[in-house]
Amino acid sequence: MKKIFSLLLTLTMVLSLAACGGNSSTPSTPGEDGTQSDAANSDTIKIGYVSDLTGATALWGTAGQYGAELAIKQVNENGGVLDGKMLELVPMDGKGEPADSVSAFKNLVEVHNIVAEIGTNFSSCNIPMASVADEVKVPIIGTAASNELVTVDENGKLHPYSFRMCFIDSYLGTVIGNYAYDTLGSRNAALFTVAGNTNSESVGQFLRDAFTAKGGTIVADEQCQDGDVDFRAQLANIGAKNPDIVFVIMNDYAKNATFAKQAREMGIDCMLMGHDGWDSAQLAGEAEGALENCLYVSRIGFSTPEAKAFGEEVAKAYNITMEGECLFGHDGVMWLVDAINRAGSADPEAIRDALEQTDVFEGLIGTLVMDPATHNPSMACAVYECHGDSFEFKEIIEAQ
Amino acid sequence: MFLQQLVTGISVGGIYALLATGYSLIYSLLDFSNWAHGEFAMVSAYIAIVLSSFMGMPFVLAAVGGMAGGALVSFLCERFAYRRIRRNGAPNMFLMIAAMGLSNVFQQAANLIFSGQYRSYPFKLPVSTIKVASAYIGVLDLVSLAITAVIITILVYLINKTQFGLNVRAIACNAHAAKVLGVKVDRCIATVFVLAGALAGVAGVLYGMKYNVFPTMGNVGLKAFIASVIGGLGSVPGAIVGAIILGVIETFVSAFISSSLRDFFSFALLIVLLLVKPSGLFGVDVQDKA
Repeated sequence: MKKIFSLLLTLTMVLSLAACGGNSSTPSTPGEDGTQSDAANSDTIKIGYVSDLTGATALWGTAGQYGAELAIKQVNENGGVLDGKMLELVPMDGKGEPADSVSAFKNLVEVHNIVAEIGTNFSSCNIPMASVADEVKVPIIGTAASNELVTVDENGKLHPYSFRMCFIDSYLGTVIGNYAYDTLGSRNAALFTVAGNTNSESVGQFLRDAFTAKGGTIVADEQCQDGDVDFRAQLANIGAKNPDIVFVIMNDYAKNATFAKQAREMGIDCMLMGHDGWDSAQLAGEAEGALENCLYVSRIGFSTPEAKAFGEEVAKAYNITMEGECLFGHDGVMWLVDAINRAGSADPEAIRDALEQTDVFEGLIGTLVMDPATHNPSMACAVYECHGDSFEFKEIIEAQ
Repeated sequence: MFLQQLVTGISVGGIYALLATGYSLIYSLLDFSNWAHGEFAMVSAYIAIVLSSFMGMPFVLAAVGGMAGGALVSFLCERFAYRRIRRNGAPNMFLMIAAMGLSNVFQQAANLIFSGQYRSYPFKLPVSTIKVASAYIGVLDLVSLAITAVIITILVYLINKTQFGLNVRAIACNAHAAKVLGVKVDRCIATVFVLAGALAGVAGVLYGMKYNVFPTMGNVGLKAFIASVIGGLGSVPGAIVGAIILGVIETFVSAFISSSLRDFFSFALLIVLLLVKPSGLFGVDVQDKA
């Protein structure tokens, strides 16, 4: 009896192991005949979407997915592309992890036969994906992935199949450093970054360079580890140096809120300033007043009427709060549509050429001026200020 | 500055202490490392979230509910997982493996049900601090240290001055002999697990109040393990002291050396201790009891 039971148990375990070997597919895929069709399939052009659909930052990834889906719906309703071909979005969860994102992308290319891919929003994922994209010759468009290495490798060589829709870390770091010195009049700053996080360290480095080049001093330079939730050890060090501003370069809204609250607890009353990692509708509420009058620099987001309208549409259709990432999803689709129409074909290589030859693309995220040598666009930024329960648009920093 | 870092270190250590106590209790009784202990704390924190955020209960009730939930989960794990393995006479290694499996299951379940998003309680304690000399002490920190102290006092009393405590110590010494002498071993062990689960529950809720609630917050259980080893595996007061020491060392290393070296120092200390004094600070040099 026991033997039969053990045998059955073993069989069940082996079978379930085989079953999970399948795919790491996402919760919602409106796929039609999804997995089996050919790339050259007549009427449906498949666009892949890889992002953090689960995990701590899932609200960004899912917002991007919904934005893309809504944009595709609108395109299809208006007749599709290239004489009536319909678009289809195939989302796959990259979990915000490099390994998972790369395998999701490979899966999309090999099994689903996508012609192009949108996402992810993390540099750490897009850097390895860029090399894979070059190998499989399918273009990828990073949404918020801002590290230099996403489009240009360490030897200065361009990744021909890797693109992005955002300004890069060096640009953002420099803008923040300059703004703090020139507009805010800060002279003694503390810098707080996350050790081992590509985006945080990269923005932090350029911020430091820009701020000190102008004549400012970094009086405290502290770091935390990726999983940390308690920053008081570092905050005590920062407080002791009496900075007039603290640059908080972290990518998780809950951690940023915790940092702010702990800073106020420790008697640090000065301005806190952040980068686009602060860009979340939940940050101000979570901080419970600790971020009052604090600033961050990011994309223009919902500050224009068209962007706001689209954001509201997505929020209503999918029952979520408005998240800026949906604009990336939308613009990724529209840029690809523009590229496909200019190329006159849905061939991945032709799409890549058309993307590279884009002069100016006007999207909901703003004007994108393409640089064919580095694939890095120049874009205007916006400054946001916290009042009460939300961050409000303060002013635009023109493209520099 | 030194004082501030000390205060921070003690407050960090206080949370570790609550977890380390429950962990140490189970170790002293059953001689195995319950790797799922951190997850009991995580489950309690989530139960409190569900009760307060989704069901609208007043926070204090939700917190108690979370604690009770932790105790229940702990009891169920013992009843349906560990007890079977114990009864089969399997080596303690199997209990550890089961604990690892359970820990993973809980984490994944939390991820699936709640997603990895960081959550916090609707109860908002005003960000208030008291300034003592040159150090800032958060009010929440004081409250959690007070709760920790009270609970641990009660526990120590329970272990040392009551019949139940005597039974527990007897089982820890020799389970078979205790059984022969009339101690209801299974019931006693179940009660200890309930207690440990409740302690983990308090730790989980306090941790969630101080920081955030997320599926991998149970990894702080690893710190409880280190604290228990520092203090002496099997010694409850030792676990508490070990936890405070660990909290202080971690904070000092983060502040005065580098936060990247923090974990390095914690684990290096663990290794050094195991080499020099494996029984820890308060542990008794125990070979196999004759």
